Amino acid sequence: MKANPLLLLIEDDPQFRLLLTTTLENQNFSVLAVDNGREGLILARTEHPGLLILDLGLPDIDGQEVIRRLRMNSELPIIVLSARNQESDITQALDNGADDYLTKPFSNAELMSRINALLRRIAKLPSGSQEYFQVGDLKVELTKRRVFVSDKEVNLTPIEFRLLSELVRNCGFVVTHRQLLTKVWGASYIEHNHYLRIYMGQLRHKLEADPTRPRYLLTEVGVGYRLTEE
Amino acid sequence: MNIQAKPLRPSSKRLIGVTRYDKSANNNTDALNMSSADFHQVNKYRYAGWLCGLIFPLGLTAIDWPFRHLLTPSNILMIYLLGVFFTAIRFGLLASILASLTSVAAFAFFFAPPIFSFAISDQENLFEVSVMVVIGYVTSSLAQNVRTQAYVAERREQRVSALYRLSKELAEAQLDKEIIFIGVHHIYTEFGAQNTFLFPEQLGNLHYPNEPALPVSLRGADLDLAQQAFNSNRYSGYGSDYFPNAPALYMPLKGSSGILGVLVLEVSDERRILPSEQRQLLDAFISQIAHALERANLGEQAKDATLKMQAETLRNSLLSSISHDLRTPLATIVGAANTLETGEQLSESSKKKLVTAISKEAQRMTDLTTKILEMARLEAGQVVLNRQWNTPEEIVGGALHRLDKKLKHRPIKVNMAIDLPLIHVDAVLLQQVLINLLENADKYTPANSAIDITVSTNHSRLSIIVADCGPGVPTHLQDKIFDKFFRVQTESAQSGVGLGLSICKAVVEAHGGEIHVSNRSGGGAMFQLHLPQTEPPPSIEQEDKA
Repeated sequence: MKANPLLLLIEDDPQFRLLLTTTLENQNFSVLAVDNGREGLILARTEHPGLLILDLGLPDIDGQEVIRRLRMNSELPIIVLSARNQESDITQALDNGADDYLTKPFSNAELMSRINALLRRIAKLPSGSQEYFQVGDLKVELTKRRVFVSDKEVNLTPIEFRLLSELVRNCGFVVTHRQLLTKVWGASYIEHNHYLRIYMGQLRHKLEADPTRPRYLLTEVGVGYRLTEE
Repeated sequence: MNIQAKPLRPSSKRLIGVTRYDKSANNNTDALNMSSADFHQVNKYRYAGWLCGLIFPLGLTAIDWPFRHLLTPSNILMIYLLGVFFTAIRFGLLASILASLTSVAAFAFFFAPPIFSFAISDQENLFEVSVMVVIGYVTSSLAQNVRTQAYVAERREQRVSALYRLSKELAEAQLDKEIIFIGVHHIYTEFGAQNTFLFPEQLGNLHYPNEPALPVSLRGADLDLAQQAFNSNRYSGYGSDYFPNAPALYMPLKGSSGILGVLVLEVSDERRILPSEQRQLLDAFISQIAHALERANLGEQAKDATLKMQAETLRNSLLSSISHDLRTPLATIVGAANTLETGEQLSESSKKKLVTAISKEAQRMTDLTTKILEMARLEAGQVVLNRQWNTPEEIVGGALHRLDKKLKHRPIKVNMAIDLPLIHVDAVLLQQVLINLLENADKYTPANSAIDITVSTNHSRLSIIVADCGPGVPTHLQDKIFDKFFRVQTESAQSGVGLGLSICKAVVEAHGGEIHVSNRSGGGAMFQLHLPQTEPPPSIEQEDKA
């Protein structure tokens, strides 16, 4: 089995830092923990961690700023921890380049599943974009642009397909409204949230058994959408 | 002229004062007592009066002339007297004196022998003429008096009604701003003077008003003079002891508890301001305005006090609620953790039980703090809605997804048309409302009983109904359950602080909507919320079908 990568943890609360370190080490990760953003930024460059867990509320520099500076020259996967239940903070962090988020308090299981999902995604990346995607009875063939539900082919409009494939590319992760609007419709549509809502509704009606209780195309209210992996 | 502040008196006394002043002014020329509008009117009448003083007697002469053989001289003089009298009633004393002189001249020239000469040869005629002049003067004086009385009464009535109009408008005004607005306008109308009110900040220094000036506002008041009036509680500026040459008069606004501010009045037409009864009217205006301002301030203070009291009550109930609802799980957590810390000899199964208890209670505390924080956020001030276009389906779906685990075993029916239009709402908050309603239904109804969600929209509103099959809500509690910290059973086994529904209410009201509860005919509670939708949903460009 491949050795688990080094995790960098930037969290200012000592008790919570201790808890996370212990929990993660218990899961056979090596953890490098610091309590401020500046030190964290330096370690992110020098120690080449495989993943960063970043608390947004830091004593020295804003967590958002840490993400921005890191993203200037690094693809390091970032999971953001937020104590404030403010969707705008989370959205901003994701738009700045964070990969996923957790709102305090969260369970260990949630944390582990996010970390593992991210690590899986990095592992897949070098082999290029994936061709097939399957979850439950939903199957997507990306290059052939075909979509099946329970082995029956579903006709999607070009935009519906672009939207779905964007979610497939980030499956398991939340994609913000802004990111989807930019990728699918173009930067000039960033304010046109209603496009996204209408097309997501159409997509659900075509792909979900009960669109009011979706199983695959999940809403992260106020933040974006997530295509579930399992 | 010394115009120091007069002590305030009840208005009835002041009216008597006005009468007294008017009487003493009767015999003066009227000009000083009148407003400038009256003054022009009087000037016009004066020329007409002089003219009539000439024309009336001459006209009567023309009428009498054909009958000069039938009428005796005393008859003719009586007719002249009548003319003089009318002139007096209509145009006042001076015109009537002119009329009587003209009459005498005309009588002497045309009727008293020798005719066509101003000489009067007949002694009897001479005597009659003298008597006529005397009678003319006396009756004219009397008529003039009546006229003046009428004029005074009219002016008095005008002042009273001006004061009445002011106090009526002031009575309806609630805010300082409105009162000042009304005051400035009325003072301008009644005294023809641009004016402004200056008020002190907390340290007692007067400053210029923050509000934009009205067209009738006075600009460029002298703050030093105003401060002098404010500090000394005496008039300053125009005609007072302090800088009497200043163009404006600075008058303190006296309230029952001290000086409220200063009225600055530009004395552009002194006839409308300086006469004593105008001054008294101005004093009455100022005291009315001062009282109205005091009343408004008191009202404001009372409102603040009520709000403070409500906040205090809320804080107390929050504290007692927090004490109970947060301390209980904390006690479990602290106790269990201590036991684990020290009890090496605990069996594995006991350890597991304690750990489960910690985790369960921690979850309960998480829910509670989330609700309390959410409510605090909504309470902290105006709820800032992040309204966007959303599909009702997604909001309902999101809420159901969040409660997936809790509602696993409940039949949930969602009645919703497929093609509902987009709604313009804060999705996060509205979803929270649905989550709270569903959690509530889950908490208070038998396990496995059904929950129905119905969503409908029409062109002007969105309606969401969450109905359960539980015991329902007693009618007398149907309003109360939306109150903060209200729970149907205060110490029930159900965890909760009684904030869920208050959060719903706050969110729905922030959307301009309403929420209420009723009981279904078949049993169970039915929460209905209606949100107005004012904007038509935006359209999107249709995509070419692939």
